[in-house]
Amino acid sequence: MAKDRNSIDYGGPLRRLVMAVLILALTGTFLLWRIDSPRVERFRAQVTDRIVPNMDWAMAPVTGTINLFRDFQSYRRIAQQNAELRRELRQMEAWKEAALQLEQENARLLDLNNVRLDPRLTYITGVVLADSGSPFRQSVLLNVGARDGIVEGWATMDGIGLVGRVSGVAQNTARVIMVTDASSRVPAIIQPSGQKAIVAGDNSAAPPIDFLENPDLVRPGDRVITSGDGGVFPAGLLIGQVAKDPGGRLRVRLAADYERLEFLRVLRHYGTEPVSDTTDVLSADEAALLQEEVTE
Amino acid sequence: MTEAPPARQWTMRIAFSALVMVILFFHMLPLQTATGGWIWPDLIFAFALAWSVRRPDYVPAVLLAGLFLLADLLLQRPPGLWAVLALIACSQMQNQARNLRDASLATEFMSAAAWIVGVGVGYRIILAILLVETPSLGPAALQIIVTVIAYPAVVAVTHALMGIRKTTPHDMGSTGVRT
Repeated sequence: MAKDRNSIDYGGPLRRLVMAVLILALTGTFLLWRIDSPRVERFRAQVTDRIVPNMDWAMAPVTGTINLFRDFQSYRRIAQQNAELRRELRQMEAWKEAALQLEQENARLLDLNNVRLDPRLTYITGVVLADSGSPFRQSVLLNVGARDGIVEGWATMDGIGLVGRVSGVAQNTARVIMVTDASSRVPAIIQPSGQKAIVAGDNSAAPPIDFLENPDLVRPGDRVITSGDGGVFPAGLLIGQVAKDPGGRLRVRLAADYERLEFLRVLRHYGTEPVSDTTDVLSADEAALLQEEVTE
Repeated sequence: MTEAPPARQWTMRIAFSALVMVILFFHMLPLQTATGGWIWPDLIFAFALAWSVRRPDYVPAVLLAGLFLLADLLLQRPPGLWAVLALIACSQMQNQARNLRDASLATEFMSAAAWIVGVGVGYRIILAILLVETPSLGPAALQIIVTVIAYPAVVAVTHALMGIRKTTPHDMGSTGVRT
């Protein structure tokens, strides 16, 4: 007891030394992160990979229970919801008819053109393990990682729209930074006007559209899709629809349902081959070879 | 300085670690995937302060540093900065524990509130100086305020449910201490 009492003598030199070492170590960690962020972020991914999958057995039932209670609250409005759903269903019927017709037409046209869609764009589906745990960051943790061949930078979607990009891959888990995160910038193209822009996340549910060349050509309701510029995302993934906020600023109403992200698709994307604008179709040695053949 | 027997000390240290892990666990439940959710008080910091005032021997600096760094890593904060600020705050509260032992809850609350605000402001200033992207001012300020407001509740839980109380005159074996 006496020895113990001495070892934790508050204000004692040993305690002060320990404090100094701890403060130096933590400050050092922070400065190291500031200088060499990727290395420390990899360390963070490793730590997360160690801890979070171990919590999964408890997380699943707790999440389930809380969602059950949330659902229970919504049961009280069930009659109203039912009416709403019926109305929406009728609208959907009309859309479904239109979609079927378009699908048939599309299939015919593809057949005529003998188009082969990019066969390398396949996907892996992962389950959302955890969210970012902080209201200032928008990211989720998936239960697929390097083990499943996930590569940093790949795009993730829910069934319909773009959700974000993979940033931080560990052996069993991968973190997805969402389009709404303040650090997210997605090069986009707005159809039908074909304007290029950047969808810049700002921690709000509807990220604003930046660097738009001519806002007059863009109207609320236009579709926003990825442009594939920058080579991170494949082109043509649906992000959402243009909407105007009360301040007159253009924003994207996201197509993906962020309220309940349970499963995410990670698109395998091995980069688009760059088209160089050089004019010689044949390289020098090929041309020489051709020359030889001609002279023979 | 009075201390509990080592066995109890270690039990309580493990209990504190478990408490932090439970808070982290609830932070990370995938319930808040959309933006604009509730802003929760920084419960880990509030509990660490409350325990530091009451029983410094249950929350040694090494344990606090480890848990804070873990929280930084898991909650996507810049690792180390918030941890070092919170550690300094807790250790100062531990140094003041002897004075605060006799003080009223109001004095303790003022002291804790000052540290919570100080850590929050210092955190933002250092991030701004080092040109790190800071979260927007509104929610960050709101979180500081909510944490300050939550502190008395945290103290009540610590005192009543967890039985972490300030050392009493009886424990100290001395007289002349106001109750």
